[in-house]
Amino acid sequence: MLLSAEKVAKHFGSFRAVAGADLAVEEGEIVGLIGPNGAGKSTFFNCIAGDIAPTSGRVVFDGIDVTDAPAEAHARLGIGRTFQVPATFEDMTILDNVMVGAFLRHRRRGEARDRALEVIEMTGLQDRAGARARSLGTPGRKRLEIARVLAAGPRLMLLDEALAGLTPGEIQRAIELVHAIHALGVTLVIVEHIMEVILSLARRVLVFNQGHVIASGKPQDVVNDPAVIEAYLGRGHGRARQ
Amino acid sequence: MRWGWLALAAMLLAYPWLVAGSASGAFLQDMGALVLLAAIGAAAWNVLGGYAGQISVGHAMFFGAGAYMPLLVYQHWQLPPLLGMPLGVAASLVVAIIIGFPTFRLSGHYFSMATIAVAELVRIVVGNWDFLGAAIGLQGPATARGWYDFVFRSAVPYYYLFLGVLALLLLVTWQMQRSRLGYYLRAVRAGERAARSLGVPVRRYKLYALMLSAGFTSLAGSLYALKTGFVDPDSGLGILVSVQMIIIAALGGAGTLLGPLLGAMILVPLQTATNTWLGGSGSGLTYIVYGGVIVLIARFEPGGLVELWHRQATARLMRRGEARHAA
Amino acid sequence: MILLQVVVGGLLLGAVYALFSSGLTLIWGMMNFINFAHGEFVMLGMYAALLAVLWIGGGPVVFGLAAALGLFLLGVIVYFALIREVMRGPMLAQILSTFGLALLLRYAAFWIFSPNFITLPHTALAGTINLAGILISIPQLVAGLAAAVLATLMHVALMRTAVGSQLRAVAEDRTAAMLMGIRPDRMQALAWGLAAASAGIAGALMAISFPFSPAVGETFALTAFVVVTLGGFGSVPGAMLAGLIVGLIQALSAYWFGPIYKDVVVYGLFVALLWLRPQGLLGTA
Repeated sequence: MLLSAEKVAKHFGSFRAVAGADLAVEEGEIVGLIGPNGAGKSTFFNCIAGDIAPTSGRVVFDGIDVTDAPAEAHARLGIGRTFQVPATFEDMTILDNVMVGAFLRHRRRGEARDRALEVIEMTGLQDRAGARARSLGTPGRKRLEIARVLAAGPRLMLLDEALAGLTPGEIQRAIELVHAIHALGVTLVIVEHIMEVILSLARRVLVFNQGHVIASGKPQDVVNDPAVIEAYLGRGHGRARQ
Repeated sequence: MRWGWLALAAMLLAYPWLVAGSASGAFLQDMGALVLLAAIGAAAWNVLGGYAGQISVGHAMFFGAGAYMPLLVYQHWQLPPLLGMPLGVAASLVVAIIIGFPTFRLSGHYFSMATIAVAELVRIVVGNWDFLGAAIGLQGPATARGWYDFVFRSAVPYYYLFLGVLALLLLVTWQMQRSRLGYYLRAVRAGERAARSLGVPVRRYKLYALMLSAGFTSLAGSLYALKTGFVDPDSGLGILVSVQMIIIAALGGAGTLLGPLLGAMILVPLQTATNTWLGGSGSGLTYIVYGGVIVLIARFEPGGLVELWHRQATARLMRRGEARHAA
Repeated sequence: MILLQVVVGGLLLGAVYALFSSGLTLIWGMMNFINFAHGEFVMLGMYAALLAVLWIGGGPVVFGLAAALGLFLLGVIVYFALIREVMRGPMLAQILSTFGLALLLRYAAFWIFSPNFITLPHTALAGTINLAGILISIPQLVAGLAAAVLATLMHVALMRTAVGSQLRAVAEDRTAAMLMGIRPDRMQALAWGLAAASAGIAGALMAISFPFSPAVGETFALTAFVVVTLGGFGSVPGAMLAGLIVGLIQALSAYWFGPIYKDVVVYGLFVALLWLRPQGLLGTA
């Protein structure tokens, strides 16, 4: 078991963003995480990534309890993540952005640069490597974030809506990129709204609603689950499907 | 680009000799030394404020530590002021850790507030402690007992001493910029949360930058003490010392290598000129203008003159490119 | 008895600290922005009071109002001309903007008003009063009580009025507030006006009891920083409580260690606070 999140909860005052969620991920899996907006997926990700400390529950990565560890420690152990709203280093070049990621595993500038160029090549950013990140559009920034975190050599990658806002052509290429990353041996947990992406990438899907997991299983089964339909479309639709 | 560096180095090396012949040669040489000294302080501040993005508004306390220690060991024990320099650096590093360690895990404002509070604290304590000269201050040797007292009649030896230290600092900064430390600091400045997610040990690296900055600021203070042979709470620890470092770095270009030198080359002669023309009342006006300039930089061009120049250059390049396409 | 006098004096001044610090923490909570010129706002309130006394005459109410209105206007102008743009920029620009403004205002005041300490021409509020054996200066008593009332009013207004809840909504979650139809820009401008006004009134109140000069702004800014940190990020009730505590500590330090050390102890405790409990009294960890 690579990652195990047990009964993770995050409360902001009286607001329960995550109300007790479990997630078990084996090495090599691609797990999808879906759910309506505001269901708590990103907050859950933040807890797993160490961005925020959960109010209760445990997060264990590769046998190590990382529940209260800071984000830097999570990254060093091999958890990488992208952000729902891209957080690229705007005034730095694309190459420099990716190098920051590469420096985690490569101390020297030359090695970090080589690794960064490799990853830039793989993610198709080589034409714009010298441009500043702020010159990219949102799809470009999302791709840069993926390249940057990939350069840091993660074992587990948390992708938070990395394909949102892409054109159908771009989505196809992004799916290929994710497959390529998976082929390198990276385990993936993907938050997405676009069903085709989930169906084509994830072997297993968890559905979030109001802070906890309401369904899990194979993608085809989950999308037909009445509870899931109800969560997305509201009361009544679930029963109608039955 | 290589030629630009050589030209700059040649000009800086030859300056005292170039102005020696003119009527106000000694004055110009002295001003050259002051420009370099100001550049050292601003470049030291720049490591922390420009590159790492942590804004200290109390850097005078490091400068003051560096200025007081050499004169202290002279005044009380007649030792060469030079021996006090490491003490100044040590004191600065201790103060830096006391401020930086708790605040670097919090948002940037806490650090800035802490720098100004501690700087004020140090100024009040020093200003009331007789051993440290209280309000009167400390004095260095009036005449040289040997070369090690660094008392020179002419400004030229000071000029080259300061040039050497500035060159060292810029070299260290340049090396840092290219290293993991430099990349990590820029990442912290550009987005702390994202930097953390990539494994950057944010607090530790901010501390590295702070210590580097504090240490070199202390050296600047020591050099000041060597040259002027005098320090008191205002000239060593006053807020205007902090202001000068900030405005020079910010005007030239915070986060750039040569910004501080550029800023010093503009502001120090300007300040000397206004002081000469307007006399005492001039200094009051000077700081109104400084405040205004800082506001303008913050509002319109935080990257300073270097950034402004870059933008004009890029715009010109693009216009030329368009003209070429049109033709 | 002297000790009790010191305590009362400290609490009264602390109430004034609470008043001007509440404004600072309101902005901090709303915009994650520390106004480094806040001390100068207080100082300008003192001079606004002076000008009001010289040009209009009248008592504390008149010049308190003058300070409030003048500084409210200044706060709003500063927001629209400077803060709003700088908020979108890097941290360097944000911190330097108000730091530069502080310098500008301070040295402009030195230039216009001269660096000498002055006092307001004597109004009806002179003398001391004897309450249960404790001697309290009437101007300080009036200043402290008025500040306490105004700070409480500010807190109540934030909690109970429609505008207050709009301000708090923007502070808690800007996006959600926008979805509810609240204009964050307007609310932020209002907050700046209020913060500056409360600083101005606090200054005017202190002007009736203490001599002042353009130099005092720097010390008030630092006091405000300590108070808002002790009170907790964005917490107005926290700032009120912390103001009283800081005023008390300052007075006791002056009494026990000498007037020179009254600020030193406060700044030293600030550092200790950062080490041990940076979230302050009412902030979240």
